Amino acid sequence: MFATAVIVLREVPQRFGWSGSPRRGGFAPSLSRVGAVLAIGLGAAATAAPAQAEFKLRYPFVDYREIELEHNGDTTFDKSKSGKNNNQSYTNEIEVGATPFWLVGLEAESGALPGENLRYEATTVENVFQLTPQGKYWADLGFFAEYSHAASRHDADSVTFGPLIQKELSDVMGTDTVHTLNLLFSKEVGRNRTDATPFFYAWQSRLRLDPHFEPGIEIFGQIDDVEAPGKLADQQHRVGPVVVGLHSLAPYGKIKYEVGYLFGLTHATENGTVRWRLEYEIPF
Amino acid sequence: MRRLLPRLILLVLLALCGPLPAQAEEGTYTLTIKDHRFAPTEFEIPAGRKITLIVKNLDSTPEEFESLELHREKVVTGGQEITVYVGPLRPGRYEFFGDFNPQTARGHIVAK
Repeated sequence: MFATAVIVLREVPQRFGWSGSPRRGGFAPSLSRVGAVLAIGLGAAATAAPAQAEFKLRYPFVDYREIELEHNGDTTFDKSKSGKNNNQSYTNEIEVGATPFWLVGLEAESGALPGENLRYEATTVENVFQLTPQGKYWADLGFFAEYSHAASRHDADSVTFGPLIQKELSDVMGTDTVHTLNLLFSKEVGRNRTDATPFFYAWQSRLRLDPHFEPGIEIFGQIDDVEAPGKLADQQHRVGPVVVGLHSLAPYGKIKYEVGYLFGLTHATENGTVRWRLEYEIPF
Repeated sequence: MRRLLPRLILLVLLALCGPLPAQAEEGTYTLTIKDHRFAPTEFEIPAGRKITLIVKNLDSTPEEFESLELHREKVVTGGQEITVYVGPLRPGRYEFFGDFNPQTARGHIVAK
């Protein structure tokens, strides 16, 4: 993983003809310096064995010429003998805004089922394609696509894809708001695959009170197979509060965070889930 | 559910891709970057209306137009220009800065 990160960070800028020349009058992180930091970050992430964070909201934007280091995690709470308590999931990721409309990321996923040890689960390449300029149309539209390679021979690889939509609404009772929707379908591929088509949705609405602190509400849901969705009680749906914010470290980039608590809405869902996201972005 | 779900998704996509309100009447403003400074450093726009902001980088080095209050960030490489869509904004003063040279590249948009 560490070697892969180094290769990606060295080769991608060259492929796109980025000079990486230092800037005048400010912090001038060379690509090699940034690359070293990121490689160390992902290397550490990989050794810590990350996991598929199921509760990650994706935005339909690409930050061109930005490198992002991201950590996502979640853990569940339920009755101790329910089999749904302390289900953990973590991902650690490096993302690069390779073009003005394409963001590509390399992700390490790990997790632990209740009562089990943390294990490395998958390596994932994910892409976000920004389809509309931010703020130009009624809503902003992007497309997400990822390929996940399972770490275990007993698990199947998978592809996940779908639209990402965001709508900014200004001056709603005196406050600006932003609303984001993800609609993602998944399909297993290769050996051990099943014919099921899981569907994941995520919705987040938040108040833009202050860039450092934007409270909101979010919903995450999962249907294991859209062809056979079953009873509502067998599906997983969660809702809860979230806080999103960022802190600029210009010219050293910025830190973003998200913290949320989700209440389970169905029998198949855990009573509670804490999710978090921490991200460091730096332009180059 | 099997039939409903694709229809709902189609509805959302159609709503997005349908006759979108073209902002043809929106105002266009130009901001230049030279010697790691924005010019003008402050300008007024009408509140409640979406505007188009053209950011021209006359320097040879890249800069990132960024505003935490406007929720916009976009890199403009040396000698190039970008388009940023802003608003509609409530009346107020909104700061923007260059992420690569925040000490010198700073300015405000005033919505009235």
